[in-house]
Amino acid sequence: MGKCSTPTRREFLKTAGAAIAVPYVITSSALGAENIPPASDRIVMGGIGIGNMGRGDQGAFLGRADVQYVAVCDVRQGARDQAKGKVDAHYKNTDCQAYNDFRELLARTDIDAVHVATPDHWHAIQVIEACRNGKDVYCQKPETRTLREGPLMVEAARRYSRVVSGGSQRVLGDYRKIVDPCWGGELGTIKAINVNVGPLSQICNLPAEDVPPDMDWELWLGPAPWAPYNKARCDGNFGTGGNSWRSYVDYSGGGMTDWGAHHFGGATFAVDVRESQPEEVIYSDDNGRKYLTYRYPNGLLIYHNRPGWGNLQIEGTPDEKVAAKPVPSYKGTGGIYGDFIECVKTRERPFRDIELAVNTVMLSHLGIVAYRLQRSLKWDAAQQQFPDDEEANRFLDCARREPWQL
Amino acid sequence: MLDQAFEALKTYDWGADPKILNPIDEAVVATRGDNAARQELEARLLAVLKTDVSRDAKDVVCRKLRVIGTAASVPALAELLPHQDLSHMARYALERIPAAEAAQALRDALPKIDNVLKIGVLGSLGARQDVASVPALVALLGDADAAVARSAALALGAIRAPEAASALREAKPESDELKTAVTDACLACAEGLLAAGKKGEAMAVYKGFIGEDQPKHVRLAATRGMLACAGKSE
Repeated sequence: MGKCSTPTRREFLKTAGAAIAVPYVITSSALGAENIPPASDRIVMGGIGIGNMGRGDQGAFLGRADVQYVAVCDVRQGARDQAKGKVDAHYKNTDCQAYNDFRELLARTDIDAVHVATPDHWHAIQVIEACRNGKDVYCQKPETRTLREGPLMVEAARRYSRVVSGGSQRVLGDYRKIVDPCWGGELGTIKAINVNVGPLSQICNLPAEDVPPDMDWELWLGPAPWAPYNKARCDGNFGTGGNSWRSYVDYSGGGMTDWGAHHFGGATFAVDVRESQPEEVIYSDDNGRKYLTYRYPNGLLIYHNRPGWGNLQIEGTPDEKVAAKPVPSYKGTGGIYGDFIECVKTRERPFRDIELAVNTVMLSHLGIVAYRLQRSLKWDAAQQQFPDDEEANRFLDCARREPWQL
Repeated sequence: MLDQAFEALKTYDWGADPKILNPIDEAVVATRGDNAARQELEARLLAVLKTDVSRDAKDVVCRKLRVIGTAASVPALAELLPHQDLSHMARYALERIPAAEAAQALRDALPKIDNVLKIGVLGSLGARQDVASVPALVALLGDADAAVARSAALALGAIRAPEAASALREAKPESDELKTAVTDACLACAEGLLAAGKKGEAMAVYKGFIGEDQPKHVRLAATRGMLACAGKSE
């Protein structure tokens, strides 16, 4: 990162002080003060997608003394103005730039990192483009909308040595009550865990409404198939019952990915398969109740919606003595956001490194394919496809609307 | 029920309840393994595509053909590629139909469609990793429309055919946006060369990106690549 190699403002002033002949007022903010790093040592950030989750992410980063927040981007004027206003109020100036088009924000060479909280159908394009432009990225979950996107996001992060964190603060937060006994050895050898989550997203065919004057509808849709504006099609509320984009296939995998990113994240963390992918998804029908079994190469099983099992219910061998392992945690301070910023500084991989995040959300996507086809699937993690399964491989990706491509 | 769904498709438009088309999805599942039944279903969908139904109804048909379309669907879908309102959904099916004819139809469309739609086709050829389209993509690297050139570069990066690497290295992108795309495609091709054991060729690509004129993250990528060529990892 440039901030580690360029001289700080203090160092510059020490060596060049005699040459400065004109009066120059240096603010205490620029020089830094107690608990406030100098401007040259702060991570310069911008935000793309400042809706429900984006506002929370913005607040977390804006509140950090080691971040200088300089830009916001949203396709809705109202959201842009509100996001800019928040930044300006924080710094007591009007320096924050507001953009409609994320490409203009990513083209800025002064920005070190971005957070992305647009709808899911945008994540891969924006994360990959951010990496191409030398930015580190914090990307909300679910990080992908299709199976093909995940490996390409990981590839971009590794190619450019970018710090790319997925979202889900819940993985280390909400699930400690199952993580600790698993990692602590109390449950012995873990055999299986169940995740109850859903539903799948559906086709949207809502009627046309007038596009609000402050919204760039074409840019909201982006790579998704064209459809007329309808408030319920694009609303950012957290429902999946038909009144938000999370309900619909062109933008989201539904609750299966939205809450799946959390629950599968907690499950894969607890049973320690974050770094691998299943090799088979077994589709079962128990008297009309459909459920899945993900089988990992080490024999571990993750169930989805198994009848008679509770959410995050675990099967282990509690009578067996198993050595405890230290539980991985965030770096730095400030939860998942602080972990990301710390890793931006140290260049380590974050707790929710994009590869781990992709390994999580792909369980959702594999499950969606299995439910759509109503049958079992084999998965080849090395090739990132369904081996000898032309029908399933059609579901690896969806063609993107011009002019958008990965 | 299936007949009723196809009847509903004739007047289907935005605002209609999509559940009335569920029998078509059920038929897709039910006809698996039955070639004759699957062909009949495909033919019925194609018949709708050729009528004057709404854009929304054609959207539905293309979504189903994405799942069950074969070479038989290609001609009807190819006809839609030049149409602004229908090109994307034609690609929605063509991009995922594995038949060689689908890739050929996308390649054939390149000289016949406007630049915006061309970008879509280029993206689909990249997503298919269509090696046969490399010469056409290379030719478009110098297109007067920078967006087309950018799209061609990204598609070459997605395909990462060894013969693309030299063409990309010789490209002279003028805009920053095009430079970023060409650089990324070069690095992707270098990774492909390295994976194929062609370390010398990969090294030649990487060496082109370690100069001080390159952004820091690109120099970093090139340096990592060179270390990988030399058998050293981070």
